[in-house]
Amino acid sequence: MGHGEKGRPSKRHKAKEDHRAEEEEVYYTEDFEDINQDGENKRDFTKLELKPDHANRPLWACADGRIFLETFSPLYKQAYDFLIAIAEPVCRPESMHEYNLTPHSLYAAVSVGLETETVISVLNKLSKTKLPKEMIDFIHASTANYGKVKLVLKKNRYFVESPFPEVLKKLLKDEVISRSRIASEGNDGFTISKSLGEIEGRHEELLNEAQLAAAAEEKEAHAFEVDPAQVENVKQRCLPNALNYPMLEEYDFRNDTVNPDLDMELKPQAQPRPYQEKSLSKMFGNGRARSGIIVLPCGAGKSLVGVSAASRIKKSCLCLATNAVSVDQWAFQFKLWSTIRDDQICRFTSDSKERFRGNAGVVVTTYNMVAFGGKRSEESEKIIEEIRNREWGLLLMDEVHVVPAHMFRKVISITKSHCKLGLTATLVREDERITDLNFLIGPKLYEANWLDLVKGGFIANVQCAEVWCPMTKEFFAEYLRKENSKKKQALYVMNPNKFRACEFLIRFHEEQRRDKIIVFADNLFALIEYAKKLKKPMIYGATSHVERTKILEAFKTSRDVNTVFLSKVGDNSIDIPEANVIIQISSHAGSRRQEAQRLGRILRAKGRLQDRMAGGKEEYNAFFYSLVSTDTQEMYYSTKRQQFLIDQGYSFKVITGLPPPDTGAELSYYSLDEQNKLLTKVLTAGDDQVGLEILDEDTDDVALQKARRSMGSMSYMSGANGKIYMEYNTGRNKGQMRSKPKDPTKRHQLFKKRFV
Amino acid sequence: MVNIIKGLYISCDIPMAQFIINMNAALPHSQKFILHVLDDTHLFVRSDMAGSIRDKISEFREQNTYEKPA
Repeated sequence: MGHGEKGRPSKRHKAKEDHRAEEEEVYYTEDFEDINQDGENKRDFTKLELKPDHANRPLWACADGRIFLETFSPLYKQAYDFLIAIAEPVCRPESMHEYNLTPHSLYAAVSVGLETETVISVLNKLSKTKLPKEMIDFIHASTANYGKVKLVLKKNRYFVESPFPEVLKKLLKDEVISRSRIASEGNDGFTISKSLGEIEGRHEELLNEAQLAAAAEEKEAHAFEVDPAQVENVKQRCLPNALNYPMLEEYDFRNDTVNPDLDMELKPQAQPRPYQEKSLSKMFGNGRARSGIIVLPCGAGKSLVGVSAASRIKKSCLCLATNAVSVDQWAFQFKLWSTIRDDQICRFTSDSKERFRGNAGVVVTTYNMVAFGGKRSEESEKIIEEIRNREWGLLLMDEVHVVPAHMFRKVISITKSHCKLGLTATLVREDERITDLNFLIGPKLYEANWLDLVKGGFIANVQCAEVWCPMTKEFFAEYLRKENSKKKQALYVMNPNKFRACEFLIRFHEEQRRDKIIVFADNLFALIEYAKKLKKPMIYGATSHVERTKILEAFKTSRDVNTVFLSKVGDNSIDIPEANVIIQISSHAGSRRQEAQRLGRILRAKGRLQDRMAGGKEEYNAFFYSLVSTDTQEMYYSTKRQQFLIDQGYSFKVITGLPPPDTGAELSYYSLDEQNKLLTKVLTAGDDQVGLEILDEDTDDVALQKARRSMGSMSYMSGANGKIYMEYNTGRNKGQMRSKPKDPTKRHQLFKKRFV
Repeated sequence: MVNIIKGLYISCDIPMAQFIINMNAALPHSQKFILHVLDDTHLFVRSDMAGSIRDKISEFREQNTYEKPA
């Protein structure tokens, strides 16, 4: 445990209830010394007043928006459900969770139907102390306008709807909006309709009080219609930088008679698990479909959530995945879980261009196929035209975190959809663009707690380990030399001690436990060297789709193929349910997301449930090893990468002394002579060879089409395409400009803002 | 003839010895401080260097350590 836990305050709160207030104070004065000018400590909470029955209440609310939840409280489950709806989880170790109230998280809360007063009163009931005034003010300020206005598509007419007529009046004072309004016949007022309150029983269960019951009563909704062509502008005017009434989008699919129904049901054997049900109930809480993002760990059954959502809406569905392999998997999942007929579902990739017959169906494709800007074949042009012209009931987006914002905008602007559902396992990005998703797709509707799912036996219980491999003398000497600065990575990855540790682990798991192993290496040179030396199959960027499928098939079925080497092409979406061991020999700098995605490859629960539970035969049934050369930069990256998983409550065990000292020549690179040969090989290889594998997908982490490949410039590869675009604009490089939008005036609103 | 040099006997692990050797190699001839490389893990250096070797090593280790931003 030790290693993974540094810097995590929450553990200290484990001690006895009565001392907790003092402890908290001690901790903050020690570690943060966050003292403002008046000499007053902002993190000093001694003044907070404990309620007399605080022992029964599960959480601490601090004035700075942070909330600490005791997971051992009997009210944990209810409090967790509530907190996850209103706050952002920061760190969730075993006994104490930390949450943070942010404007976005409160926006999400409002969008799933919670009201400001409900949020405050429930929070107050759960808190051990009186709610700080700052927090109450913050909630008021953040939710004052959020969610007051909804954009509803009803029978293909767009309505701006709100329970507060005064808000609508205010909106109509805006020129753009009032011009976009379509006045209803002979009546200057708003259309009034009754809308059902929330049908979730959650909060009523939690606190059976009259004031909450009021939330479930019927409410009047006032609405006015807007011109479909002007919807984009109206939305823009409502953003926080203008009128500040961000719109929620909802789709009243039951009353949509214009778009044809798709006849699909969940098969009876598809039993959504409790957390899947919960995430769906957030989406369909009031009988309409809300747009938003659902966060579930890999292997927890995201596809079932997606398929369930599609079969509840029962309209045409466009499903976007990141690459061709996952397109196949999605198509398979649809057929597996729902009663959809084969002719109602089709895949649209560069290899298979199918078209569905009939007037409604499911299309599975990749982001690139839709967003692709270049010339297409005639056949795919026809299909894309169909996609453009159709009105989609549901836009299902897989792995939303990997797709860059500009590609999203393009996809969203091309496709007309009533409701957007984003699915992801890791809502983190190194570039912090994640907040863009909030208004491009919608708020986060649900996020599962990894450790709770492990406890429930829904995902595998993974033992994470960091294996420390000391550098050999010769390799370290070269590592330190200035002229080798470009080869540093190759040197620490090819460290013979690391190789031996890797070989040892592979042998141990193959022979002793008969496990299936994936070895990840971002460094292409290392990947090829390792795989060849150990005579194992490998898949990297240049491996063709056919060969990939063949290798994966062999890995899944054959008893002889138990280890496969993957470059970062395997990070996302390649679904290998059989694997339960991951050995990571090199990785992309400090990407927390990559680490989580890789762990996700082995999270799918295997074996019998009772064996997996605590105290069962196999408490840990999956293993995640990260091999790190000590005294090198890798140590830095490795710790950084682990942060996300540590925040989810995982702990990394440090293993030293692998392979055991008594192993000799049975593992490779035992003799100094062999090691030196390897060193020469690394040193003589060109700099371009030993660097990171550069995939086209590096630009945006999404596999691009072949056709696109030829167009990529160096700057495009390096991910600097946004900036380079401005350079092209100066006319220096007209050849490259062709792949970009030509006419700036035709550019999408959001793009204009970015590039001006 | 017997030569006596007062110096500092350093005992460390293999990579750190390499680090000190590398540090020595980067200096101009007049400032070299390693008197003898005894074996992979033992060095004999000028006695006045203890402080600066420590500083360099801690600086190096600092670079390889990630601290979670508060």
